[in-house]
Amino acid sequence: MGKSRKIVCRCEDLTEEEIIHAIDEGYNDLESLKRYTGATTGACQGKGCLMHLIRILSQKTKRSPEEIGVTTQRPPVNPVPLLILSEGDTE
Amino acid sequence: MRVAVIGAGVMGLSTAYFLAKSGVEVKVFEQKYLTYGASGRNSGGITAMLDREELIPFAVRSLEMYENLPSELEFNFLFRMDGYIKVADRDEDVERLEKSLNLQRKLGVDAEIIEPQEIRDLIPDFNSSAVTFAVFSKNSGVVFPWPVVWGLAKGCRELGVEIKTHTKVHDIIIGEGIRGVKAGDEFFEADVIVNSAGAWSNEMSRIAGIELGNKIIKEEICVTESIKPYLDPYLLDVSHGLYISQTSRGEIVGGITGREVEKIETKSSMDFLVKYARRVTQLIPKLKGLSILRQWSGVYDEGKDGLPVVGFSKDESFVQANGLGHWGMTIGLSLGKELAKLIIKGENPKLKPFSPERF
Repeated sequence: MGKSRKIVCRCEDLTEEEIIHAIDEGYNDLESLKRYTGATTGACQGKGCLMHLIRILSQKTKRSPEEIGVTTQRPPVNPVPLLILSEGDTE
Repeated sequence: MRVAVIGAGVMGLSTAYFLAKSGVEVKVFEQKYLTYGASGRNSGGITAMLDREELIPFAVRSLEMYENLPSELEFNFLFRMDGYIKVADRDEDVERLEKSLNLQRKLGVDAEIIEPQEIRDLIPDFNSSAVTFAVFSKNSGVVFPWPVVWGLAKGCRELGVEIKTHTKVHDIIIGEGIRGVKAGDEFFEADVIVNSAGAWSNEMSRIAGIELGNKIIKEEICVTESIKPYLDPYLLDVSHGLYISQTSRGEIVGGITGREVEKIETKSSMDFLVKYARRVTQLIPKLKGLSILRQWSGVYDEGKDGLPVVGFSKDESFVQANGLGHWGMTIGLSLGKELAKLIIKGENPKLKPFSPERF
């Protein structure tokens, strides 16, 4: 493994280099970058990688983190087994 | 000729791509980002086992396009033809599936009745006692919706089409004289304006001064954590409206067929997760140990009579390309291709059943 290999998203095994490559290909807004690379869609749902993604995007596109924004946070907050959900109440 | 396309989903981009391929100057306006709308929120089931006679030929042609377009665009759609199963456990649904099957076979679709126990040959852990009837089509499968949108967008751009994202159209000028769309601080003059805005098509039609009246449907979907390839075919339980498949990334993605809503909103509900979890664990009990990572919802539109609305409106400079309903990914590619022909030649008999003037 080279010294420069920085893992950005551990769930989806993505390096900083791969994120930069996607931005260079034109996926340069956060929602598109997320979908094209798969970053923030793994088991942690972005808890570990979203900030890195915003940092890299900010550095590459010279936009502030405020301008970049955050991805839509989707439930559940933590993974929930189907067995538990199937015991829930419906309206 | 200059054409403005409103909405960069599969319908708008397919139309734009085939127009540009014939040398038409096209510009696409997308209010958000690529994949924001229904073309980026669905589960990618593709089959010609449809109930409506008018739609089946378009599904058949789209299936061919899913096989051929990726090499033309040099973009992998992650499409795999691993089959499609429909199951039912209510008599009225069984009757409907049988009726549709006869229609599909008449039109050359390779669909067949299989015994519920035979599903276990395709999905080893399937609980065949949960259903009473099943149909299967081998020539169907699952596509990853995002690369379809990106691939079409790439093809468009390479042909010189500009796709303006984050640019909402706020006025549409049609009729005699100068025509075009106003979006952001730009006025784009166009001979033809294509309304492929999905659930937002009613709104776009209204600002052009033309009443559309499509139904708005909201649908919810969720995904589990990734597991190794396990579920090859796409499965639709028509009695419970539930569908499930495995993505090429290993997630089990599934949803429940949507309901008509008054206005556009995309909130997720616990009610959906519980209903989904109950039925999916009846169908494949082994899934109960898997965790849901994420849920979302999306909105799409459907013509008043359940068919798409595609063709010239009463003003020939305003073209409807919407109302594709639940089957947008399945029929959108070929519908877009045929619509491009209609716009260029001024007529296309294949699109007659979908004419906006039929109402």
